[in-house]
Amino acid sequence: MSDVTVAESKLVTKQLPEADIVGESPLHHADLASVSQHGPKEGGVYFHERKLQGLLTLRCVPSAEQLSQIESLLGAALPMEPLTSVTTDAVSIRWISPDEWLIIVAGEQAFDLETRFYESMTGHYSLVNISGGTTIFDVSGSQVVNMLKKSTPVDLHPREFPVGKVVSTVFAKSGVTICRLEDDKYELVVRRSFADYLWLWIQDASREYGLVVKA
Amino acid sequence: MTQKNRLQDGGRIDRSKALTFTYNGKKYTGFEGDTLASALLANGVDIIGRSFKYSRPRGIVAAGAEEPNAIMQVGATEATQIPNVRATQQSLYGGLVAGSTNGWPSVDNDMMGLVGKVGGKMMPPGFYYKTFMYPKSMWETYESFIRKAAGLGRAPKENDPDIYDKMNQHCDVIIVGAGPAGLAAALTAARAGARVIIADEQNEFGGSLLSSTELLDGKPAAEWVADVVKELSTYDDVLMLPNSQVNGYHDHNFLTIQQHCTDQFADRAPNGQVAQRYHRVRAKWVVLATGAHERPLVYGNNDVPGCMVANAVSTYINRYGVVPGKNLVLMTSNNNAYRTALDWHDAGRNVVAIVDSRKNPQGTFVDAARERGISIMVGSGVIEAHGSKRVTGVSIAPLNDAGDAVVGPIIKMAADTVASSGGWSPVIHLSCHTGSRPVWNDDILGFVPGTTYQKQLTAGAINGSFTTEQALAEGVSAAADALTHLGMTKKDVVLPKAETIEEGKAMALFHIPHTKPTSKAPKQFVDYQNDVTASGIELACREGFESIEHVKRYTAMGFGTDQGKLGNINGMAIAAKMLNQTIPQTGTTIFRPNYTPVTFGAIAGRDCGALFDPERYTAMHAWHVERGAKFEDVGQWKRPWYYPQGNETMQQALDRECLATRKSVGILDASTLGKIDIQGKDAREFLGRVYTNAWAKLPVGKCRYGLMCGEDGMVFDDGVTSCLAENHFLMTTTSGGAARVLSWLEIYHQTEWPELEVFFTSVTDHWSTMTISGPNSRKLLEKLTDYDVSKENMAFMDWKPMTVAGVPARVFRISFTGELSFEINVQANYGMHVWKALFEHGEEFNLTPYGTETMHILRAEKGFIIAGQDTDGSVHPFDLGMSWAVSMQKPFSFIGKRGMQREDCVRENRKQLVGLKTIDPKAVLPEGAQGVLDPKAPIPMPMVGHVTSSYWSANLNRSVAMGFVKGGLDKMGERVFYPLADGRVIEAEICSPVFLDPKGERQNV
Repeated sequence: MSDVTVAESKLVTKQLPEADIVGESPLHHADLASVSQHGPKEGGVYFHERKLQGLLTLRCVPSAEQLSQIESLLGAALPMEPLTSVTTDAVSIRWISPDEWLIIVAGEQAFDLETRFYESMTGHYSLVNISGGTTIFDVSGSQVVNMLKKSTPVDLHPREFPVGKVVSTVFAKSGVTICRLEDDKYELVVRRSFADYLWLWIQDASREYGLVVKA
Repeated sequence: MTQKNRLQDGGRIDRSKALTFTYNGKKYTGFEGDTLASALLANGVDIIGRSFKYSRPRGIVAAGAEEPNAIMQVGATEATQIPNVRATQQSLYGGLVAGSTNGWPSVDNDMMGLVGKVGGKMMPPGFYYKTFMYPKSMWETYESFIRKAAGLGRAPKENDPDIYDKMNQHCDVIIVGAGPAGLAAALTAARAGARVIIADEQNEFGGSLLSSTELLDGKPAAEWVADVVKELSTYDDVLMLPNSQVNGYHDHNFLTIQQHCTDQFADRAPNGQVAQRYHRVRAKWVVLATGAHERPLVYGNNDVPGCMVANAVSTYINRYGVVPGKNLVLMTSNNNAYRTALDWHDAGRNVVAIVDSRKNPQGTFVDAARERGISIMVGSGVIEAHGSKRVTGVSIAPLNDAGDAVVGPIIKMAADTVASSGGWSPVIHLSCHTGSRPVWNDDILGFVPGTTYQKQLTAGAINGSFTTEQALAEGVSAAADALTHLGMTKKDVVLPKAETIEEGKAMALFHIPHTKPTSKAPKQFVDYQNDVTASGIELACREGFESIEHVKRYTAMGFGTDQGKLGNINGMAIAAKMLNQTIPQTGTTIFRPNYTPVTFGAIAGRDCGALFDPERYTAMHAWHVERGAKFEDVGQWKRPWYYPQGNETMQQALDRECLATRKSVGILDASTLGKIDIQGKDAREFLGRVYTNAWAKLPVGKCRYGLMCGEDGMVFDDGVTSCLAENHFLMTTTSGGAARVLSWLEIYHQTEWPELEVFFTSVTDHWSTMTISGPNSRKLLEKLTDYDVSKENMAFMDWKPMTVAGVPARVFRISFTGELSFEINVQANYGMHVWKALFEHGEEFNLTPYGTETMHILRAEKGFIIAGQDTDGSVHPFDLGMSWAVSMQKPFSFIGKRGMQREDCVRENRKQLVGLKTIDPKAVLPEGAQGVLDPKAPIPMPMVGHVTSSYWSANLNRSVAMGFVKGGLDKMGERVFYPLADGRVIEAEICSPVFLDPKGERQNV
């Protein structure tokens, strides 16, 4: 099968069906499209599920050679400074731990990226597609920091948490990876199975500020 | 009712906004700006409760957090009840409903008062220990009696409808207390650009300045307060929290604050608003500007309503426009308290006398009193108050120089109010929360904060710096110190000029002597809330308690919600005198969080109801819900338990699901299984070290079952791991054990074998996993894939990549039911699509969804274990009869190898897992039942092991069970008995746990 590469070292398989089969994101059941249509249009906190993205976990202790290979494969240098990130039009790279990064691309590009890594990356690393197990909540608005302060012990003051900073931390009783995208906009990367709980939590924590769902 | 004690003008109340409230069933009126306490005093309410031990009538004594008596039950409805609210800290609002927490059945005419009067001697200190220890069986009876009497209030019986939440805060400097020191510190820190939190328990900032007649820069102090508050509110990085009690100071400068948001102005929060918020603050520096509490003096009958702390009287006059009586006697050991007499006099009421324990008082306030013609009785003390429900008079007597003996005749005077002051105790509670021991300061006759290991600074009265001038200056310098530590630059702060006050020296006086010995004198209360008297402390000392910690526990001084705010220093002084020690030699007990009681709502926050704990869902969850599944909690997962149809009972549903699966095909949502992607050239070696069996030769495309043990050799998880490529594996774990296993692998990799090239990534949520199981499962799969899934091309324990229902899938031929099974894994966003597709084609095979319970039955028929059910951390693979899953020959050791070879692990007669076949096939053993070999043995019978798994098997038309039996693997065919609580004894034969298809022919087709 051309979609499957069973080689001596790693297995890389295409995981998406043809486009006529539509995937269901972790908040599919919440029907955010109609919530956004019928719900409030103004409020202190805005919520958007950036769904069906391509998310991959890269684990590596990169040599100089690997660093340059990764840079050419991703089109951006791997952020080596702890808690930092790189965002371009095509790819977002989030530092997770000293040997782990989260890579976000368009949904249909994940397999392509895996294949290109497989074809040209040398040395010890792993690149694992976690697109089905992960979704992204974009939260924003004038009161978004207050909502986040109810949810996570991380210090969100701009001096401590500037745009681009990434922290993987506790969020209510679950965990998320938080990246500050803009002054009043944050990306929360959440695990599929916790998505409904976190969505309920965010609704609750936003109630006093007014929550606006964006499709 | 009129507010008979309310002044015509003055104070920080708004007389144009009258508020009606209910206290103990009666309606009263107060004004906006009142506390519940000031409104009660304005209305002339003298008795606000009964004391807990002696049931004596009690009145309001203080004006702040230190109030020991006015502990209220607040709430207009059952659902909004809040116990233990201090009336002095509760803002008045229209419609407020409050009641005494004790006083049973009524505060004015109390039944227990009779007991108290007769039974005072029957309830000495050490009362609990002496009286209620024996007989032990009576404790429950005693307890309900004591609790009812103890005035602890009650929790609501209905759900509280209000929202309580929590917020995490961070700052450079947190300032606790917004009096002159705190405000000066906040201003200094804020101007330098620091991130500041300033919190104060009161409804407005200002602290002592709000109730003082003092001038700053020649203007009322409140004007300066207003200016500072206004400036602070202009800084983005300053968070001002009024109505916020800093209740706990924990290690690493972590502080907890209970903010009263709406409960200071409404019984129930207006829709959507938060009633109380619990702030969790992480501060780089802490400035404690918590002020001081005035100490009352200890004298006979000092608890009769009308006996108050001097400064509280001033506060009610100056801040609330309430004079809580007509004729005042002020007793003091210091100059400061003279202000109370001046305030009383200036309010137009009669000061009967100032009774000063010193022979020759001098200073600004003494002169002011003399100017007003107030009578001052020097070298004297009030030795006793008269009256029962309200003070009617006092006995005054001359004291010796040391203040410990009456040396002249008693003079009786009529009065309705006795204000007393023994000086001021710094509020050091928070500084003690982190373990710091306070130190005695002879100059101020009080304890001040001692050495701390926290980044803590102190300013103002907490240091014994009692004047406003000192407080302002120390506030600035504490903030300046913090700024220096933070590397920030201080900007100019010009302090207002405080009035110059000449203060004469105070006298160290705590306990006013009586003409009778303490034990015979009228009760002299030290701790009002716990009814601890001076004679009680003396008795404790006489009974041999020399440590103040023991005296505290023996007498209950400073217990509970009171935390010794008013009484502790007096109690220590009395103990010191008895023990012939100084106060510093006697030492002090220390204080614990919380400073004042915190509602459960604030502690729970939003972690309640639907948000109590995360519920984890699979991609097919909505289908299960729609299908009417009953769910079971597995870790945080909601897993379908069974799918009842119509009026089916649970057992009927299980029977149907079990039969359908073995006869045709069933389907299980197995997505919750933990899945870990393992890559690297040493992945195989790593697996060999963490699993008990061999992995060196597992070919690509094959799956293998493995057991994981701890260092002690005991099984903690199991699962199937598949070889995806030479250096690439997919490990599965139990649903509940996934996170633990991943951590386990990382810990061993990072700490023991970092040289191995291997990486682990959780893919649990990435794959939706659905297991089709049963003789028709292949036929069903063939309808959805073009791939050749025949036995020849895809044997048992093979895995193959293929497309299922149009979706790329990894399909594993592994089985937990013993049937022909295919475990289909697809990217989770397509899990529902494939699941539904299976049902679209499954009708002809009666495709039956089954849940965890049927899964358990089917695997038990096959004798497959469940880690965590059939194991409990004390069994190794050999105990489970699974020696086939252990390879002692591997070149490198594996985790648990040594542990399972310990002497105890290889001895005879260990408990071993066996099958249990009941002699009566219809009898189903209860799980957990203990087995015995001789059911007639005398009790306690020697027990040989318990039942771990037991079910009714519809397929076998009998029960099946597994359990531990000592030496069970060598007892095949022997009998074991299970005596049950209901008297039945179930007899079973020890057998192989494989009840069905022992040769495994069904799964190998």
